Amino acid sequence: MMTRSRLLFLALLAVAGVLTFFKIPLASSQGVTITAAKIEGALPLDDVTAVEWQDATAVSVPLSAQIVAKPMFPQANVKAVDVRALYNDAQIAFLVEWADGTMDDTAVRVQDFADAVAIQFPLVEGQPFFCMGQQGGNVNIWHWKADWQAGMDGRQDVNDVYPDMYVDGYTFADTEAGAAAPVSSYTDINYVPAMAADNLFAAPTYASPVEDLIAGSFGSLTSQPIEMQNVQGHGAYADGKWRVIFVRDLASPQGEDAQFATGQVYSLAFAAWDGANEERNGQKSTSQWVSLQLGSIASSPGATGAAPAAGSRGSSANALEGVPYLLVPMFLVFGLVVLAGIGFWILSKLPEKK
Amino acid sequence: MAEVYNWQLGRPMEYIYEEAHPNRQFAAIFNINRCIGCQTCTGACKATWTFSKGQEYMWWNNVESKPYGSYPKYWDVKILQQLDEAHQAVGKTAVWDPTQTGEQSPYGVYNGMTITEAAGQTQNGNQALGYLPTDHEWQAPNFYEDTATKYQGDRLGISTEGAALPVHQTWFFYLQRICNHCTYPACAAACPRKAIYKREEDGIVLIDQSRCRGYRKCVEQCPYKKSMYRGTTHTSEKCVGCYPRVEGNDPLSDGVPMETRCMAVCPGKIRLNGLVDIAEDGSWVEDPQHPLYYLIRVEQIALPLYPQFGTEPNIYYIPPRWAPRPYLRQMFGPGVDQAIERYSNPSRTVLALLQLFRASQKMVFRFEIEEGPLVREVEKNGQPWQMYDDTVIGFDAQGREIARLSVVEPMIERGAERLNSI
Repeated sequence: MMTRSRLLFLALLAVAGVLTFFKIPLASSQGVTITAAKIEGALPLDDVTAVEWQDATAVSVPLSAQIVAKPMFPQANVKAVDVRALYNDAQIAFLVEWADGTMDDTAVRVQDFADAVAIQFPLVEGQPFFCMGQQGGNVNIWHWKADWQAGMDGRQDVNDVYPDMYVDGYTFADTEAGAAAPVSSYTDINYVPAMAADNLFAAPTYASPVEDLIAGSFGSLTSQPIEMQNVQGHGAYADGKWRVIFVRDLASPQGEDAQFATGQVYSLAFAAWDGANEERNGQKSTSQWVSLQLGSIASSPGATGAAPAAGSRGSSANALEGVPYLLVPMFLVFGLVVLAGIGFWILSKLPEKK
Repeated sequence: MAEVYNWQLGRPMEYIYEEAHPNRQFAAIFNINRCIGCQTCTGACKATWTFSKGQEYMWWNNVESKPYGSYPKYWDVKILQQLDEAHQAVGKTAVWDPTQTGEQSPYGVYNGMTITEAAGQTQNGNQALGYLPTDHEWQAPNFYEDTATKYQGDRLGISTEGAALPVHQTWFFYLQRICNHCTYPACAAACPRKAIYKREEDGIVLIDQSRCRGYRKCVEQCPYKKSMYRGTTHTSEKCVGCYPRVEGNDPLSDGVPMETRCMAVCPGKIRLNGLVDIAEDGSWVEDPQHPLYYLIRVEQIALPLYPQFGTEPNIYYIPPRWAPRPYLRQMFGPGVDQAIERYSNPSRTVLALLQLFRASQKMVFRFEIEEGPLVREVEKNGQPWQMYDDTVIGFDAQGREIARLSVVEPMIERGAERLNSI
């Protein structure tokens, strides 16, 4: 007798077959290409209005609510981000802008969530699943947080948010300092367990407002060790808009980092969170994969002498070339829903395994 | 969604993960009838675990005055309302069938939805029903402390009948709360990062402080609201079940499991904490000489808190004798009437075991009773009842005697030479 697990396996095989037959790459997107402009001299690292950004063409990347895995939130707010990219001989920089009615840059109170934006790069050939990658298809994620940005000059503390609070003194801190003593001054950090566990969220100071992470499926998001955090950034809020810069060296000696070389085309995806809407983790807006091109396409890979980039995307012909970009995921989702429906119908007809 | 068996509900239920049970489960009995609301447990926990910056508002242990008191404010009313609305939305009623009792369904069968099942019905994008309390709701450990229901008197405000059991007209009672270290924790289901885990050795539920990213999904979806967000570290923390004591690593413990701080300090002697053996299928291994097993599974005088939430909580309560039964049935399930009856007219074993509460800091793993003489014969609720001066003996994890108490407290007269000494 067919067991449920075997049937499920066959159903998955059928889905894979259909996708292969119609040459539907998982969650591909077409038509959106961000071209990084090369400039001489230094990149603007912390000036979101620097004239250098005028050299790059802004590309609008549409976002939609993440509805693949729980927790999801169909009412996610951010609908698009505008992206520009610049690079020089050593570094690459992105400027990501989006409209947000409120500046939410604190996460001290239980009900406070900070605005955030992230860029995701594949760490394998081709495009792994666009939501957090997949097993065997890791992604490198750069995650900027408004509260980390606000804490660059000193972490926001509870006594900043509750200025009238009073304590007799904290046992493992300078009791004379009263409510002003930060947890980073504790003589025994076991009473600040997240800090004792080297959790970047609890770090006494933020070295960068951008966190450097890897992921290989839902729930697997993991911060790279402190010594491997190598993405810098700067965000500023003005006129109802966040403008956030990400900067990193083109090449990284770390295997779990995206690599960049002139003349190559890469995949990348974006996600954004509106803190005022209590958006966090999977409750976010996300894009499909889009393309990033550094300068003009090289005639042969590795023409610049740089190591072949792990994330470079082949230019294989695509059966769905020219189909408007959003339709592809719609087809995909529709197809999966129909197949899942058929699968569940068959499963429901099967006798329960005793 | 996997199908798991919840014996408190007497039926299988939906849960995000497959069944995987610890070898032993941290569990406790809180005798509500004995609590004097002194908050010594609350203070002991605070002084042990949550005295640091960012934890000011955290009370991993709290004692609230029911029906109005709650921490965070109205937590139970809010989640009960959500569960009720979820039932109304699909035209269901949450009812128990108390006729179907059996070994695997001691309280009957719950035919309503749990918070995880209801979340699936509502497609709300979460694993369980829930909400995120704001800082205002966490402001104090016992809003409406000692506030009773309305006093019903005559025109002069004087009661013509006074108060009498079985149900007091004007009432409140203390509800002592810690993390329930649930068999099917909603916090663990809610965490999108699997940063919350249940320990194999004792079933204590912990938040991995290296993986937590402060999303507060656990704060949102723990129905008992025992995950709490720490603003200084941007991570969530929760009751750790005093695991160093439970492991026997406390210098005082002599290498055997000890009760948690909140249990061990209780002046009212309302708490009994221990570890019960769990079979591979999640059922309790039969062990009638274990005080928790005997009181919870054999006599069933201690009941889980809001079992209908479906998390299979592991703190059990002896319900207050004087409170209205419908309120208690909502809170502890359909076993309330029997539990109160058996507590009010205790068997010899129950009466002896009640002496064992707070008799030692070490966890009792086995008890024995030495029978004593009949000392009193009275009528209780129209039934004859005999009291025997039995002696209960408690043994620790290594089988060593750690407590010996008789039902009748020994009388010791102070000598004349010390009449005024303190």
